[in-house]
Amino acid sequence: MASPFATVLDSLIRQRGVTAAMVVSERDGIAIDANLQIGQSGDRVAALAAFLFRKARLSARAAGMGEVSFLQLEAPAGRICAVGGGSLVLVVVAESTVNVGLIRVELLRGVDALRHAGGVESDR
Amino acid sequence: MADEVRRLSDELARDPASRVFVPLGEALRKQGQLDLALKVTLRGLERHPHLPDGHDLLARIWVDRNELLRAFDEWDMVLRLSPGHTSAMRGMGFVSYQLNRLPEAEQYLSAALAALPAGETDEGVTMALANVRTAQGLPAPTTDPASGDTVLPPGTAHDPRFLFSDVLSDAEQTALLLDRDGLVLAGAYVGHDGRDLAQEVGAELSGVTDAARRATRHLALGDWTSIVFETEVAVVAMSPSAGDGLLVLATSRATPLGLVRRLLDRCLDRAQKWLGGRY
Repeated sequence: MASPFATVLDSLIRQRGVTAAMVVSERDGIAIDANLQIGQSGDRVAALAAFLFRKARLSARAAGMGEVSFLQLEAPAGRICAVGGGSLVLVVVAESTVNVGLIRVELLRGVDALRHAGGVESDR
Repeated sequence: MADEVRRLSDELARDPASRVFVPLGEALRKQGQLDLALKVTLRGLERHPHLPDGHDLLARIWVDRNELLRAFDEWDMVLRLSPGHTSAMRGMGFVSYQLNRLPEAEQYLSAALAALPAGETDEGVTMALANVRTAQGLPAPTTDPASGDTVLPPGTAHDPRFLFSDVLSDAEQTALLLDRDGLVLAGAYVGHDGRDLAQEVGAELSGVTDAARRATRHLALGDWTSIVFETEVAVVAMSPSAGDGLLVLATSRATPLGLVRRLLDRCLDRAQKWLGGRY
């Protein structure tokens, strides 16, 4: 049976330049579901991306800036994008040439599905 | 990191008297799970009250919780147990600096540098010491320019909290320079109630540089250049700085992303010059 996140992940991985899409628990960094290119291992990236998102959320809270909606890490050969949906984080790894605007829109679209599928606001 | 915490937790469960509470508490602290890190560390110290590294960890947890006086007292305990403990002197120097006790900060940071083994350097302490001396209007440590080390010209006394003031274009923009532990080196973040929240923000961001580096290296993306995140009211951009530090820029949501990047570059340039003693 397909996971409740399969549709969201499928729509992300279909975007040009996207090499991985994952749903990760923000609290412990464990990948709950993933759609990866052949040969990739997502566990470590999932944990680190969740950690970065959690840090962003906690620092924004400390600064009174409200909730974090979208995070992007850039490097010369690619980027990691993430959005939070309750206790879950939707993570995308992409090539540097990817259309970030499009990925951002797709990720933010996926957040609602994430919330409905299990990203319950808890233990925050 | 989650695997590491699990492994260490299992080890501690198998042998509650072991000293593994120190790396476990540190891993939890780095994950931002401060309550849990505090609990593990306090329990561990009940069994090992004379373990300097346990007290050192507890001090760093207090810093992350912005309880600077408690952190200072804990590091004081470390020095009693282990005179010359470099991490304790370093920490007491940074806390003294944050509390604006500049002569004390200079004393501890100088001692931390002096306690390093021959041939070893600590860029964070060297930079902090230069800043403390500059803030006091004292000549900063000057080394051979050919070596590329810090050279601060005389007359550069400047309050580090205002380092980015003239680079930023309006009151809704602010920037912070953090060291590798999330301690504030320069800049400020003033909240709506007028309180400087820089220390709290810095503490929450400790470990970001390391996690970003590990993620991009694991994916063979090259060294990370920036992290940008959007919140309900702000855009925050971060960039790695010298000595595993972090430059953080916050602007209003209305600021165009292109301008955010340009401001980040300008602040980074200012920070590099300042750290190099050229501002």
